[in-house]
Amino acid sequence: MGGYVDEIRLGQIQEGVAMAMSMNPDFQEMESDERRRFAEQMVELQVTRLGLDQPFLIRSFRYLGNALTLDLGRSEYLISDSGSRRVRNIILERLGPTLLLFATAELGLFLIAVVISLFLSRRYGSRLDRFFVAMAPTSAAPSWFYGLFLILIFAAVFRVLPFGGMVAAPPPENPFLYVLSLLRHLILPASAIVLSALFLAVYSWRTFFLIYSNEDYVELARAKGLPSGLIERRYVLRPTLPTIVTSFALTVITVWTGAIVLEQVFNWPGLGTLFVSAVNQFDTPVIIGSTIVYAYLLGVTVFVLDFLYALIDPRIKVGLGEGS
Amino acid sequence: MRLSTKCSWVTGGAVAALILAMFAGVSYPAFSTGAQEEEEAAVPDEARPGAYLDEVIVTEEPSESAAITRLEAGEIDLYADGLTDSELYDQVIAAGLDYEESFGSYAEITFNPYGPVFDGTGALNPFSVPRIREAMNYLVDREFIAQEIYGGLAVPRYLPVTSAFPDYARLADVARSLELEYAHDPVLAEQIITEEMENLGAEMVNGVWHYDGEPVELLFVIRTEDERQEIGDYISAELEDIGFEVDRLYRTAAEASALWMASAPSEGNFHLYTGGWITTVISRDQAGNFDFFYTPRGLGQPLWQAYEPSDAFDDIADRLARREFSTLEERKDMFGEALELAMEDSVRMWLVDQQSFTPMQPEFQVAADLGGGVSGAFLWPFTFRREGEVGGSANIAMPSILTEPWNPLDGSNWIFDMMLIRATGDQGTLPDPFTGLAWPQRIERAEVTVEEGLPVERTHDWVSLESSPRIDVPDDAWISWDAEAQEFVTVGEEHPDGLTARRRSVVYYPDDFYENVHWHDGSPISLGDIVLGFILSFDRAQEESPIFDQAQVPAYESFVQNFRGMRIANEDPLVIEWYSDTFFLDAEANVTTLFPYYAQGPGAWHTLGTGIRAEAAEDLAFSSDKADRLEVEWTNMIAGPSLEILEQHLDAAAGENYIPYEPTLSQFIDSQEASERWENLQVWYDEYEHFWVGIGPYLLQEAFPVEGTVHLRRNAAYADPADKWERFEEPQIADVDVLGPPRVNAGDAAEFEISITFQGAPYAGEDLDSVSYLVFDSTGALAYVGDAEEVTDGTWMARMTADQTAAIEPGSTRVEVIASPLIVSIPTFESVEFVISE
Repeated sequence: MGGYVDEIRLGQIQEGVAMAMSMNPDFQEMESDERRRFAEQMVELQVTRLGLDQPFLIRSFRYLGNALTLDLGRSEYLISDSGSRRVRNIILERLGPTLLLFATAELGLFLIAVVISLFLSRRYGSRLDRFFVAMAPTSAAPSWFYGLFLILIFAAVFRVLPFGGMVAAPPPENPFLYVLSLLRHLILPASAIVLSALFLAVYSWRTFFLIYSNEDYVELARAKGLPSGLIERRYVLRPTLPTIVTSFALTVITVWTGAIVLEQVFNWPGLGTLFVSAVNQFDTPVIIGSTIVYAYLLGVTVFVLDFLYALIDPRIKVGLGEGS
Repeated sequence: MRLSTKCSWVTGGAVAALILAMFAGVSYPAFSTGAQEEEEAAVPDEARPGAYLDEVIVTEEPSESAAITRLEAGEIDLYADGLTDSELYDQVIAAGLDYEESFGSYAEITFNPYGPVFDGTGALNPFSVPRIREAMNYLVDREFIAQEIYGGLAVPRYLPVTSAFPDYARLADVARSLELEYAHDPVLAEQIITEEMENLGAEMVNGVWHYDGEPVELLFVIRTEDERQEIGDYISAELEDIGFEVDRLYRTAAEASALWMASAPSEGNFHLYTGGWITTVISRDQAGNFDFFYTPRGLGQPLWQAYEPSDAFDDIADRLARREFSTLEERKDMFGEALELAMEDSVRMWLVDQQSFTPMQPEFQVAADLGGGVSGAFLWPFTFRREGEVGGSANIAMPSILTEPWNPLDGSNWIFDMMLIRATGDQGTLPDPFTGLAWPQRIERAEVTVEEGLPVERTHDWVSLESSPRIDVPDDAWISWDAEAQEFVTVGEEHPDGLTARRRSVVYYPDDFYENVHWHDGSPISLGDIVLGFILSFDRAQEESPIFDQAQVPAYESFVQNFRGMRIANEDPLVIEWYSDTFFLDAEANVTTLFPYYAQGPGAWHTLGTGIRAEAAEDLAFSSDKADRLEVEWTNMIAGPSLEILEQHLDAAAGENYIPYEPTLSQFIDSQEASERWENLQVWYDEYEHFWVGIGPYLLQEAFPVEGTVHLRRNAAYADPADKWERFEEPQIADVDVLGPPRVNAGDAAEFEISITFQGAPYAGEDLDSVSYLVFDSTGALAYVGDAEEVTDGTWMARMTADQTAAIEPGSTRVEVIASPLIVSIPTFESVEFVISE
């Protein structure tokens, strides 16, 4: 009815019941007929609950309709940490930690990369510049790869930072201490994200800066004797920013996709971990819900970038246009 | 796949266990923080009540290797999962960490018995021939699997009984002899398989078996998540060596289940599958395994329906499952015969019993269940502590935490959630972690009467055992429930001509039961808590009930099929009689205790009453199934949106001085008790912000679902002293040494001295069930079985007479001694070789 995935899910239900039967001596002590009847009823209840007795097309349209109207419905297996089966609650609960981690890391990445890129653009060909160029290919490694090393160094060897989690156990009751604990737990995963994208970002952005540094108007500014700081801010940084922001947006998208494993490595209770669980358990409503949320996150990112362009590039204006 | 253990409502009742859970108990005036701390200061050392530790902090750590690293770094004290990775084991040893062992997991090969030709593919299925399946036992080297694939963390398994469970010890002689008979012999395997393949019409062409001109290709579904991948590769290679082509289908659990479990065997989607099973508690009676694993009666799934055991095997499997034997000796004979027939049938080829290890810091002690490890042990909260210390805190990590909502009726059943839930609850009896036998916890003693001729034996003296030709159920015993009138139906009303049962259990609670046992919110236990549990075993499965739940019906139907009545013989001191048609081999297992511990945790009548109100109003539902049907939240008493709803119902209940099922429960709960309960619960909720009011040695201080942390605090008002279960901190697995002459002349008597010790001290004779020995002659055949005689504590003698040595084939002979303790279900084997010369 629903193709091979339905067969897999039916198999899972049946195996689950069989395992339960084998695990618990109470079931073994039932009479055979009684045990078999019980098992069949258990399977039937699950099949009905999951809607596997309904045609696949009907289910698919229901999922689609729910998704389009943002009614994410109820999950089939997964439960929110606080015990709710509503997909909205499940996702919202995980969205906060994910946004916190990635917003922090991405903001850090942007600021650090911009500063270093500007710095290196002034020292083209220096040892440090060559170091960053040489390190750029390491950005091919995903953030979780760096995460493993950071855990090994700072948690296992030096024992100065936690292995993972979002906050100390038990979480501090004092809000100030809670925030401190949260920040402490953020250091390693955020650093892993920053490290994984930093070298490539610096390499490409410093190239943009170099290109713009050689423009005639910059040369003119230098010839006029303007201070170098002012030249960087006004004549180099500003015209380069739209390009950098676009490049940054592309980095953000890549970083989001790496979130799934990174969150697992750091045991960070975010959307990535949730998505993996949903896929493993064929929890269609949660998979659809998570995908939609990712889509919205990217959409919102692009939307915000449009406004940013208007702020950083005087040639772009935000408005309703002529005639309105 | 979630792993879990159901705690039982009625500890002796099989079916009843599926419905609720129950009761038996004693405690103190509980809860309160300030007063409690003062009391703690006044009560030193082991004499203090409750757990050894002051608090336990539990966090989530899904990665096994990260958990070991965190243990090495001292960040956690125990990782509550049974690990099987030999590399991690080496890491644990190298780091000087300690561990607890358990033996509940086992691996096997499931054969598709359909054939000889699959309808779906037209392919030949050699495993449709029982003799080929049987020959596979010779082909596979289990020792190699145990040592090389599992790195020593497994022992070979040939039979459908777990080597660490009591039935193996009871049948050690038969088992050992079968193990020798089916020892690794690839030449014999190839010979038999060749013979049978030719009988099937297959022919060997260039070293490859062909059927109808095509190579015989075996579809081998191999699980990829654990060591079974290597097992699959190893067995594939062995099959390829004898002329089969093997298509290795590497699959995860979900992908594999569609092939081996959900599809019809006739379709030919697989020939073999690397199966794995888990038992989370010690099973004291594995006689039902034949029926479950080898016959169509086991399960309704298509694979089971393809099983065609021989008439003799089918009959004996059925009789063993129905317990159609009158003595344990008869059972042993039947069991032995069934083991032989199971090997001949071999729709499953058992490979290894895995040894899991639960790693922890060396300074800690904890009682681990031999089946379920630490996470499955009922005694962990009572025994977990720093060696020789009282107080302090410990950090536990576990693979998952707070996976599903907690509610006592149908909440989370995940093994790791249940580990924590058990720490907050208590039970009438608790299972011995080393034998599975029940010990009294909240009850004092019990009497069991069984129908004459039933093979029941008693081990412990807290229970008495009698048999009777007829057990009448009293007319005033409750047998059913009228959900509309909310009243019990008595046996006299439902069976005016009288009713009999096959088993009666009478449980005596301590005189100070009501004074000593208190809920964590300070409410003393009452008969209302106990009777509510009994009501709920009926009410939720009856359509007239305001909290009817379709999902309860199957378990309810099973329950009523054998239930024959319950009677409160005396209210104070409490005495409860239970009548049933089910029985178990151990008298201890036939004791049905009632205590407010349900399938998924402890439940007071007032906390459950709040949930009952919420479900009746269709605001929440106890079961996941009903929550989905109603599209409401699944009742969660510790966190989430349920709390707000429960709080509203708590306020309403307190306002009305609500008593659930008032027509019945008002006979056991007066308005003053109701008022005090609601007040206590309101105070509790204000302080703890959850509704998990337990009764056990730890109380739930806080749960942090998003952060994945649980904080348990010692219940200083618990009824028992901390050292009550101290004797179970380590299983006393016997060490056995055998000394004997290197050479014996045929016709001379021979003596072998057997030394049985534990940690160097002699093993007490009263703690040993039996010490027997097997003599295998120079051909490896079992020549003689005897019982050793006790000389002194720890010293036994195996004596062979002149006639016996004369009857044995001369040559290298082996004496294998089996010491089976009573206090731990794992027997110890030790052997010595000598030469019989002519």
